[in-house]
Order: sequence, then C-alpha cells, then structure tokens
Amino acid sequence: MITAIDLGLIFGLMALGVYLTFRVLDFADLTIDGSFTSGAATAATLIVAGWQPLTATLAGTAVGLVAGLVTGLLNTWGKIHPLLAGILTQIALYSINLRIMGKANVPLLRTTTLFTPLRDKGLLGTWVSVGILAALLAVFVAALVWFLSTDIGLALRATGDNEGMARAQGVNTDAMTLLGLSLSNGLVALSGALFAQYQGYADIGMGIGLIVAGLASVIIGTAIINNGHIWITALAVVCGSIIYRLIIQAALTIPWFDPNDMKLLSALIVITALLLPRWDVFNRLRARSRDKESAAEAWGDPDRDPDPEELDSGDVRAPRPGIVKKVKRADA
Amino acid sequence: MLEVRHVTKAFFPRTVNEKIALRDISLTLKSGDFATIIGSNGAGKSTLLNVVAGRYRPDLGSVWIDGEDVTRLPDYRVARQVGRVFQDPMAGTSPHLTIEENLAIAWARTRGRALKLGVTNARREQFREELKTLELGLENRLTARVGLLSGGQRQALSLVMAAFTQPRILLLDEHTAALDPQRAALITRLTDQMVERHKLTAMMVTHNMEQALQLGNRLIMMHEGEIILELRDEAKQKATVADLMSEFDKLKGVQLSDRTLLA
Repeated sequence: MITAIDLGLIFGLMALGVYLTFRVLDFADLTIDGSFTSGAATAATLIVAGWQPLTATLAGTAVGLVAGLVTGLLNTWGKIHPLLAGILTQIALYSINLRIMGKANVPLLRTTTLFTPLRDKGLLGTWVSVGILAALLAVFVAALVWFLSTDIGLALRATGDNEGMARAQGVNTDAMTLLGLSLSNGLVALSGALFAQYQGYADIGMGIGLIVAGLASVIIGTAIINNGHIWITALAVVCGSIIYRLIIQAALTIPWFDPNDMKLLSALIVITALLLPRWDVFNRLRARSRDKESAAEAWGDPDRDPDPEELDSGDVRAPRPGIVKKVKRADA
Repeated sequence: MLEVRHVTKAFFPRTVNEKIALRDISLTLKSGDFATIIGSNGAGKSTLLNVVAGRYRPDLGSVWIDGEDVTRLPDYRVARQVGRVFQDPMAGTSPHLTIEENLAIAWARTRGRALKLGVTNARREQFREELKTLELGLENRLTARVGLLSGGQRQALSLVMAAFTQPRILLLDEHTAALDPQRAALITRLTDQMVERHKLTAMMVTHNMEQALQLGNRLIMMHEGEIILELRDEAKQKATVADLMSEFDKLKGVQLSDRTLLA
C-alpha cells in the first residue's frame, strides 16, 4: 500500500502537468504519453552513460519542455487542432524515444539513481520515502500555485478561461499556450524520469495510456474537493493521483484481475469518475458548499444549468430520465 | 489622439458574397472626445471598432493612436492602449477567476506582465477604491468568482477593467444591449461617470438613439460602411430622437429610389 502512495506522489507531478493543460489552459494535451517516456528514456540513458542522477533527471525534464513546445507550436503557429497536435507529437516521440534509448528497454541495475540512497537503506516503499516524496510534491505544488498567482500566471489562466477576454486585456494567448504546454510536459517528463529511477528501468511502452491516469487524478481530485481556490485544487489533484493508485492496487488484489488488466481498469475508473458527477452524487455534495458563497442574483440556476466547463465529459445535455433519481433538496 | 485614415474593409473579398463593411472611412477623435455611433445593422459600426482595436486588419488605410501607426499590430498589442467592453456581459471577464484576479489582469494590461504576484495588498486597495465608485457592493466581494455575478454586475466590472487603467481609447460595442432596461440605465450612467472621471477618449456603438444623444460630445451616423452624419457639441445637444429618425427615413428614401432605378 505504501508503494502505491509512493507511486501516487511520483505520478502526482504528472497529474499536476495534466491539470495545467486540461483544466487551467483548457487544452486536451495528448503529448504526455510521449513526453513521460522521453523524460524516463533521457534520464535512464544518461545515468547509464555515467551522468549524475540529478543532472540526468533535469535533462529529461528539459526534453519534456521541448516536446510541449513542439505541440504548442503546432497548435498556435500551425493552427492544428489541440488533440491532433498532441497526437502528432506523441507519435513522433515514440521514434525519438527509441533513438534516445537505442533499444526498447534500458535497465538501471547497478547504477546510482536518485533513489539509490533510499533503496540501499531499505527505506523505499516505507513512510520515509513517502515523507520525502511528499515534501518534494509540496514544493512543486507551492511553486505551481505561486506561478499561477503571478501576473503571467493569471494571464495563462485567463487564456484558458476566456480567450477573447485575455486578448482584449493585452495577453499574448499564443505565448501563454506555448508556456503552459512546455511547463506541463516538463512536469510530466520529470515524473517519468523519477518513475524510471524508482522502478529501475525505462521502457518504451511506459507512457502508453498515461493521459488516462492523469485525467483520472485530476477528475477524482477535483470531484472530491473543489472550492475554486487554486492551491486547494492543486493539492486535490495530487491526492487524486494517490487515490487513483490505491484504487488500481486494490482492484489488482481481486483474484481474477492480473497486471495486464491495468489499462482496462484505468479506463473504467475514468468513466466512473466522469459519470458520477452527472448522476447527482457529487452535485449534492458540491451544492452544499456552493450555497455558502451564494450569489445575490446568480446568472441562471446553477442546479438546473450545469456549467459545461465544470463537466469534464463536456456535454451539458441533461442526464437521461430514469438514470437520475430526482432529489428534492430540503434547502432548495 | 485617434486617427482613422481612409480605411476600407471588405469581408469575403473577390467572391459573390463580398461585403464591403467600411468604405474609405476617415475619422479623428481629439483627446477627451466621446463619440457615439449609430446606424442600422450592417452599417459597419462594429467593424470600425474592431479595426481600431486591431481585431480586423483594414484592406486599405491606417489607424493611428497617439501618433503611432497601429494598423499592423496584433490585437493584444493594441490592447495596451485600448480598453474594450463587449455586448455580451460574459465576454469581458474571466468566470473562474475572482474579481480581484480579473482586475489584476486588467491592471497589467498597460504595465506589462512579470513573475510578480498579481494581487498584492496595495493593488487590492486600488481595486476596492475603483469598485466603490460602482456602488454595487462589489468592493466587499473581491475574492468571489466572477461567474457568480449577474450579467449587469459583470458588465459593470468589464467597464471598470476597460477604463481604470486609463487607456488612450475606450471602445464600447453595444455594451448595454444585452441588459434589461434598468441595468442598461445603470451601465449607461456608470459609463458617463467613468469617462468623465478618467478623462477618457471613447467610442460607443449603440442602437439606442436616446443613449446616443445623452452621452458624449459627438455623434456619428453610419450607413452601408460610410459616415453619413456627424454632429458635434452644440448641434448634438440640440438634436432630438425625431431628428435622427428623419435622417434614417431619408436613407430609406434613397434605398427606395435605388431599387426603383434598378427595376
């Protein structure tokens, strides 16, 4: 179980990256499947070549930054649809990652990685490693929240929230898209570099379907806690990542499942997380907190008109009658 | 202050759908001028505003703000000197950010952006002072998300965001059209105060002739991409809605005779 928390924290960096694009920038970025592996591949190859683990990790991060920049350029300069731009970079990265590694798998046996000191003392997968990783994540959450509160960060958030308004307020929205995608993929690649060192090898297939895990973390996290404060949301995303890993691990203990079913499980978890808010479960929880900061005169009825941006499935049609049990709220 | 020199703009040029939105428009606003623009649908009013704001690039002619040629600048660069309020109350603000964060974004419009906290205590005080002038109580809700505000409140906030940085030009594109009469009157009054207080040079498009006469010192009537009537200071003060209507009726006569000629 503690290993799952370790992994949840390492993948938490990736989830923060997905949060930055998917939620803040409103850009469904599929590059991360590729950039995660790029980070891992670069770090592993350089470590095997004798580099310091820290520099190798940073180099992996840098490759991710560039990958994000490429997707950004395809989208802003090339005017390619976000989904397609991400897919193109991702598929190109597959070949590039093979070039970086020279083969499909780079083991890190008998090399010094960032986790070697912990592993030698047998502290990996204990509360000590959880504590260290949690501290690292805290630093990144704080840095991300600070960044998003600066003038540039606010401009980035406005770009994702209301692009027309951002441009009218003098924001170069293209530059913000490039910046957001780079930072996001940098975080994802860093997560990949750390994960490769944690598990002891980099593999060409390690990033496949990772976007699903990222989305699951973001959606689970924000479904549980969402009060609009950016630092709480960022923390919630990291918690979402840990919860996701715990769910996966719990599901794998069910006798019939084996590790090859993991992708199926991740898809099911995301589908559940997407559908639950539509089935009124979380809405009732959220409505309670919403009532606290009630508006004097709200624009429309938030209970009847779901905000399309709040619904991750992106569909504002009312749920089918029959699926939803009509709940009459006492405080309505 | 603002100079529009012989601007022509056509949509879908060289196709059967070609629509000439502006025909050789020239217009000069002096510092402190407040021009209201009226005209029927398709007269080119909004196109003119969008050309000034850098949203559309004119086919011919140029736009000068404060002696600088801004014709070829992208809209976000022009925005440093131009504040805009749109017709849609949702368009001018960012719903998931708080009131103070929205104001911080507007604050940075003229001053540039860096890696410094957007909302500081000093700025918060300034925002509070600005919002107090609206008398809507928004100064006590700085940390509320803008999506929670009503259309009228959001439009008032958009107005503050466009005006409080003292832009060289303020562009108002039918900014009261989507509001109920009471809110529209409120926003009209606030607009007047805001332009007065910050001594702004402004252009306002409206379909409401009373509003067009009530606000500003200049009135411009457009038709089919041309300026067909201009009233200034005293002439504008004396004009009535009936006068403007008769001008419009004259136009209809012209159209009729055109059609008769073609028939």
